[in-house]
Amino acid sequence: MKKRGIGIGSMFYGMGYGFSRPDISSAEVEICEDGSVIVRSGEVDYGQGSDTIFCQMVAEELGIRYDTIQLVTADTFTTPNAGPTSASRVTYVTGNAMVKAARAIKKTLQGVAQEILGEKDLLFSDEEIFSEAQPEKRLSFSKLAKECHLRGLQMVETAWHDITTKDVDPETGQGDAYATYAYATQLAEVEVDMETGKVEVLRIVSATDAGKAINPSNVEGQIEGGVAMGVGYALTEEIKLEKGYLKTGNLGEYMIPTSMDIPTIETHIVEVPIPSGPYGAKGVGEPASIPTAPAILNAIANAIGVRVTELPANLENLHRLIREKEK
Amino acid sequence: MLHFQFFNARSIEEAINFLAEEVEQCRIIAGGTDLIPALRKEDIHPDFVMNILEIDQLKGITEMDHAVRIGPTTTFTEMIESDILFRFFPSIVQAASSVGGPQVRNRGTIGGNIANASPAADVLPAVLAYDGELELQSKVSGKRIVRLSEAIEGPYKTRFLPDEMLTGIIMKKPEPGTRGLFEKLGRRNAMARARMNLTILLRLNEKEEVSEVRIVPGAVMPVARRVRGTEEMLLGKKSEPSLIEAASEVLAKEMVEVTGIRWSTEYKVPVLKNMFKRMMWQLLR
Amino acid sequence: MSNEQEKVLLRMKVNGKPVEVMVKPAWTLLRVLREELRLTGTKKGCEQGDCGACTVIMDGKAVNACLVLALQAESKEIETIEGLGTAENLHPLQRSFIQHGAVQCGFCTPGMLMSAKALLERNPRPTIEEIKRGISGNLCRCTGYTKIIKAIQNVHK
Repeated sequence: MKKRGIGIGSMFYGMGYGFSRPDISSAEVEICEDGSVIVRSGEVDYGQGSDTIFCQMVAEELGIRYDTIQLVTADTFTTPNAGPTSASRVTYVTGNAMVKAARAIKKTLQGVAQEILGEKDLLFSDEEIFSEAQPEKRLSFSKLAKECHLRGLQMVETAWHDITTKDVDPETGQGDAYATYAYATQLAEVEVDMETGKVEVLRIVSATDAGKAINPSNVEGQIEGGVAMGVGYALTEEIKLEKGYLKTGNLGEYMIPTSMDIPTIETHIVEVPIPSGPYGAKGVGEPASIPTAPAILNAIANAIGVRVTELPANLENLHRLIREKEK
Repeated sequence: MLHFQFFNARSIEEAINFLAEEVEQCRIIAGGTDLIPALRKEDIHPDFVMNILEIDQLKGITEMDHAVRIGPTTTFTEMIESDILFRFFPSIVQAASSVGGPQVRNRGTIGGNIANASPAADVLPAVLAYDGELELQSKVSGKRIVRLSEAIEGPYKTRFLPDEMLTGIIMKKPEPGTRGLFEKLGRRNAMARARMNLTILLRLNEKEEVSEVRIVPGAVMPVARRVRGTEEMLLGKKSEPSLIEAASEVLAKEMVEVTGIRWSTEYKVPVLKNMFKRMMWQLLR
Repeated sequence: MSNEQEKVLLRMKVNGKPVEVMVKPAWTLLRVLREELRLTGTKKGCEQGDCGACTVIMDGKAVNACLVLALQAESKEIETIEGLGTAENLHPLQRSFIQHGAVQCGFCTPGMLMSAKALLERNPRPTIEEIKRGISGNLCRCTGYTKIIKAIQNVHK
């Protein structure tokens, strides 16, 4: 007999390292004579898309195309220290450094543009700078860059951002733990085969507060990947040690979900901008997978009235709980 | 990986001649899905690896009047796509479909599944249910036919002679009206070893009594075999819920008789019974 | 006895071009592609056929290159990711993967694309279930497969 159930898991998660641990980043934006833009950052993009959003943010500030930016990352010889790519912190910390650096250089560009166009209120858009009031007064970004260089101005800015917190009281645990928190809730619909202990996760609906999704597609990608990790964590992934030897050291033994094991994943990106984040954004890397296992376990409890308290809820472990309940 | 010489056999004759020469030092490779990981782990140290995938005589599925012959280098994918197998041996098609993923199915072979004799094999138990026969050939001993039920010694150990090669799998066509079902339980829905699998063939007469039944549980015993006690309970009778329940108890008992009580028994006993009952009801519908 | 293995000539076709390379009998096709032919697009994941990162198409079928002995590829036609498309001339699958955000770290991607290509060659309009089954031999840890499936499903759009 198969039974279905629905469960919810909710979480909040501190961004960055917290607890007064140093949590800094820096970014560099340089504008070349021909108007090309070089951005440097110590962060590693290992597929989550930090490279993309750095370019998006700088492009947003300068009104240029994000795919023309030359990005140099993760090179200890040339890129300023941005802290590690971890703790769901890159968008939040390094993103801020990016925006700061871009705005600093924009100030320089603005000053020269105001002088050239003879107008004060200027917009940076579509690779041009133009007057709000009198749009015929316009200048191309590359021309403006050249003009700045001719004036011998500083055309590279490095910005620093620091989210290190003060810490909490060791007695009460109250205080300033993390700079900010991300929130996420997931709903899981499962089908439990009472006769074998096999669980199919049919559907996961995820609502994640990203503050502001700089790149919604990439945020979805993070959530979808995190959910798959959560499914494996809940149901099949297990590290087995035997006399100190790892028995599950390869992909044949350590079972992660295949394409035939994943649920339908519905992602809802909730945007409650936080003032301290770049454009209101915060991180989703880890939040993506934290509510999944709890949601699945709650769904199992809803389906068959069995509370799983040890992971993974694999065939043997779950079926044992089912048998114990039936007694 | 280790060092070995590679020999590409072009015919059965070439192959068995080579085996006769090199005997203990030679391992046969077809799809390599079991052999290559074993070579990597250095579980085995052959001097020679003989490729049999180029031997035409080992390929193909042939329908004869009363039986079907499957070449040992037939891949799982070829089995799945075979009209002949689908028509006469649907459980074998189901078993082949359950193995690994597309890449493994495109290379792994029925001959390899049998010769590797893993306790968790999927196709082997299904062939057993159809009472498959193996054609073995060697230079010294010539050709012989062995029933699969008598060909496996233990886990990963066949009763093939050291210089013998599997050259065909023959199965008699089942009686018309035979229903068959294969099910596999794995930890995930692809790329998973069987936690257990079960093949049941069933034929009823006009009075709805069981005239023939074959039951082969897989991945629960060192060597897959038919459970005769369970089968006898059902023969000649109408399958009532109480009978099926009683038969499932006998099935579990037969398994435990072979395996003894182990840590996994507390899981395998109830789940095997459940699988059996579920499949029986599906077949009786 | 010497541990040095004598090399043997292997002749096959890779991405439409005939190739001749000296190989040790114990080498796998994966090793030959990556290290002898410098076609490093095909990835080394688990080297035991469990992950699909090394998927190539051999004589029209998706296979794990780590489970093919190099000499078993004699006279065969091999298609690798390098033959699928180039940066200037993307294969529709590659374009679809990019458009749908189906690439994160990218390590599974070459294998995924080759499995997808093999699937679509046999079944040009697969259902979602058929797509899932078609890539079930390719593990991915980053994407949760969702956008990969969408990319394959919508390749014609």
